[in-house]
Amino acid sequence: MKLTRRGFLGAVGAAGVAAAAPNNAQAWQSKAPPDPYGCLVDLTRCIGCRKCEQACNEVNRLPEPAVRFDDLTVLDAKRRPDHDTFTVINRYYPGRLDDRAKPAPTFVKVQCMHCQDPACVSACITGALTKEDNGAVHYDVGKCIGCRYCMAACPFEIPAYEYHDPITPRVRKCTFCFERISKEGGKPGCASICPVEAITFGRRNELLLLAKKRIENDPGKYVDRVYGEKEVGGTSWLYVSNVDFEKVGFQKLPEQPMPGITETIQSSLFSYLWSPLALFGVLGAVMGLTGRKEENHDA
Amino acid sequence: MRTNVIRVLATAVLMAVLGASAALAATPPPAGDAKPVEKSRKDLTPMPEGWTALRQEEAIKQAHKQYPFVEDVLMEDLPLRQQRLRNMGIGYKDIKQSYILLDSPYVDTYEKQYDPVRFMHSKHAASLDGDCAACHHYRPADPNAPETVSCRSCHQDTRTDANTERIGLKAAYHMQCMNCHEQMKKGPVNCVGCHTKRSVDHKELVRLPENPKPQEVTAECLRCHQEAGDDMLATAHWLWRGPSPYTTEHRKSVMSGKGTTTLNNF
Repeated sequence: MKLTRRGFLGAVGAAGVAAAAPNNAQAWQSKAPPDPYGCLVDLTRCIGCRKCEQACNEVNRLPEPAVRFDDLTVLDAKRRPDHDTFTVINRYYPGRLDDRAKPAPTFVKVQCMHCQDPACVSACITGALTKEDNGAVHYDVGKCIGCRYCMAACPFEIPAYEYHDPITPRVRKCTFCFERISKEGGKPGCASICPVEAITFGRRNELLLLAKKRIENDPGKYVDRVYGEKEVGGTSWLYVSNVDFEKVGFQKLPEQPMPGITETIQSSLFSYLWSPLALFGVLGAVMGLTGRKEENHDA
Repeated sequence: MRTNVIRVLATAVLMAVLGASAALAATPPPAGDAKPVEKSRKDLTPMPEGWTALRQEEAIKQAHKQYPFVEDVLMEDLPLRQQRLRNMGIGYKDIKQSYILLDSPYVDTYEKQYDPVRFMHSKHAASLDGDCAACHHYRPADPNAPETVSCRSCHQDTRTDANTERIGLKAAYHMQCMNCHEQMKKGPVNCVGCHTKRSVDHKELVRLPENPKPQEVTAECLRCHQEAGDDMLATAHWLWRGPSPYTTEHRKSVMSGKGTTTLNNF
């Protein structure tokens, strides 16, 4: 039986698809640690004192800020964490009124959410970012090559980069106070300084129950939702609130983990190397065709 | 006519005085033999020797006393509890100490930045008209336990298990005090309203030569407190300006003040 070119290419393509199909069916496996630490942030308790920012700065030995931490005027503008600020407090006026019929503020702490299946870890090509068993998304500067894929991958837009330092730039983000929480009884700086326990540190599973208990005990106060329970497959940092999360700067995010989509696409593309095979097959065919034509011309 | 004469005379006297003072100010300080003014850093109102705040030691001891943790509390409605406390005749006369020092290892969860609060127990109880239940919201489930227990009997470390969630002592203090102050529109709600800030010992930080010039002292202060200096330059103390009092021919054309060049502007 003579194998035509078209037939051959078709067969290769079909084989590739067939090879990829079972891989697609084979569900992507979450690598989330089973019992990580977490923090529960209760937006109804936060008073916007910025002590967490101060503690974060001191614990991580970050440079002194331009504006002192007891200056609350910085809350007039919305801020984002950057290379020397791992956490910020933003103030929102979502429309709630206090007992004097004045708009009541809601304060939101922003920092790395320490996703259960972090997109940054999945995107990192050198393994500089890892999800640790204690819940922290840990950054190892020794392995980082500065590609900044993590910054593009993060659904919360958290990692920042030291653009000002061309020689030894680092990716900077909340460390979950890795060293502190690795010690017995250690808490992150922000959680230990918070005067009203708006940040509760503990095991994520317990905090989730705690959050639901708080909502259940006061359904009139809380919105029936724990942000971070399901967002992008769950995050170590959880939030409960008395206002809609979308009104106070939280993003609407899908429930499936980000790496679930990207890694499935990637693994199905490269299973049994069918896609490079197909690609080189096509290229080879094109070469063959064009080459023969030239031969004909010469003859 | 006479008033005019008086006015002119008064102006002349004023001018003379001003001129004299300007001349005085302009005279260079006597050089050579004159000794520099001796500076004294002595505290003019020293604390009497061995003085401590009233009952301070007792209060510190009291603050660090450990109480057995109350695991179970009797949950009851606030009005019922208030009624019961009133019926039992518990009120502010039962308070033994006039103030409590709110200090405990459970409060020091981060580096000490503030001094402990001196909580006026009797005063608060009296201003609440003896409504103890405003703060002593629950009682231990054990019937033999006293009716009101201290905050840190129930609030110690943070308990995160969902069945017995108990906020830590620091948060309990802060939330109880601040929420009530906010509700009542009375009492401080900022940090330094209740705490004194633990200030840094400036003896170690200030670096000055033996006999500093005033400018050197200012420069040394500004080394750390640049913002305070900048702020000062934006205040009325530095920027004030206004019409001068009546001068010749009833004119108020001269603007005096620190914001101009006419008064005391170095």
